[in-house]
Amino acid sequence: MLFSVIAIALLVAMLLTLVRALAGPTAFDRLLAVNSFGTKTVLLIAVAGFLMGRPEFLDIALSYALINFLGTVAVLKYFELPDPDSGHYAEDDY
Amino acid sequence: MELLLGVLAWPLAILGMIFLIAGAVGMTRLPDLYTRLHAASVTDTGGTLVIGLVLLLYAVFVYGSAMVAIKLLLIMGFTLFTAPTASHVLAKAALLSGLVPVDGKGEPLLESSEQATQLGRSRPDASSAVQEKR
Amino acid sequence: METFIVGVLLSFLVIIAIGIIVLRDLLAAVILLGVYSLIAAGAFVVMDAVDVAFTEAAVGAGISTILYLGALRFTTDRQKPRGHDSLPALLFVVLTGALLIYGTLDMPHYGSATSPAQTHEQVAVRFLEVSGDEVGPPNIVTSVLASYRGYDTLGETVVVFAAGIAVMSLLGLRRRRPQQDISDDERAES
Repeated sequence: MLFSVIAIALLVAMLLTLVRALAGPTAFDRLLAVNSFGTKTVLLIAVAGFLMGRPEFLDIALSYALINFLGTVAVLKYFELPDPDSGHYAEDDY
Repeated sequence: MELLLGVLAWPLAILGMIFLIAGAVGMTRLPDLYTRLHAASVTDTGGTLVIGLVLLLYAVFVYGSAMVAIKLLLIMGFTLFTAPTASHVLAKAALLSGLVPVDGKGEPLLESSEQATQLGRSRPDASSAVQEKR
Repeated sequence: METFIVGVLLSFLVIIAIGIIVLRDLLAAVILLGVYSLIAAGAFVVMDAVDVAFTEAAVGAGISTILYLGALRFTTDRQKPRGHDSLPALLFVVLTGALLIYGTLDMPHYGSATSPAQTHEQVAVRFLEVSGDEVGPPNIVTSVLASYRGYDTLGETVVVFAAGIAVMSLLGLRRRRPQQDISDDERAES
């Protein structure tokens, strides 16, 4: 019962986050939505494991938390790096 | 034991769900990226930690499995560090790319996107040095 | 409850797929593809296919996003407006999709107890009982993947490795940063 309610709340929150991911308007908004969505997926997998009485699924939730963070930072790196053709690179930026 | 678990777990779960829904609603309703970052942080750290605590209660008192509890603690601890870091990197990258913050009425708070980039590059102690070099 | 969660996750997938088609911003499409993989992997977990979910998360949300981004750096992130009529393409896609759905009708239902893998009297029982002694690992999926169908897995790994090398040589191995730095310095001096 408890886990079902939490799972439904998570799904509602995921839907609202998805609206932001689709609406944009900037790429950063989408990225923020994706990052937040990933956190909610981690929680959903953890809650689903308890819901089915098999909490061993937490391994996957753990690896998702890692992938989520790495993915966000990797995409932001794309914004940081210059265009290969523009020849502009500011060392101070990072 | 059952009663104690219910008394502890339900309020925590309701608090966690409030964090989740409030953050998600804020993410759809707030005016610009920087304010949405606040809303997302509520979900990412608050929601994860409180709901993780509920799961931890069940892991300890119902399943009695130390491994499950350790994994949950790892997830919670990891989220506690990565979610603020990701928010910070996101805000900084947005500033560097020249995204201007707006106030509640949609008025820009800075004059130009170059100013936002400058703000993103500045650091508390080294900002003057950066200015001189350019 | 699990059916409900899977249903909601699958409808999220449909929404995201439509969003990816509609959006002209390729960077946004790449970001949304990452969410797509994440949701698909979540659905796999809820449906008990934990190993598939692991692969989907690592490959779909992790590596392929980064590869797409690497490709975008060498091109533009706006989709070109299409000048031609896409009706034949749509027809072809619909036909292929219908064929694939028709193909799934022959497969056993999700969780079916009468699927051939469950009812075959030797295979499942043999793997369950003997694999611990024959191969060793406590996880039977691992011993099937790494030993009973080891040549198959080796072939897959070779293909993936070759593809990875090819993509790396296309995207990442050109070094132009040093030249740029020199030209930047010269510009600063002059």
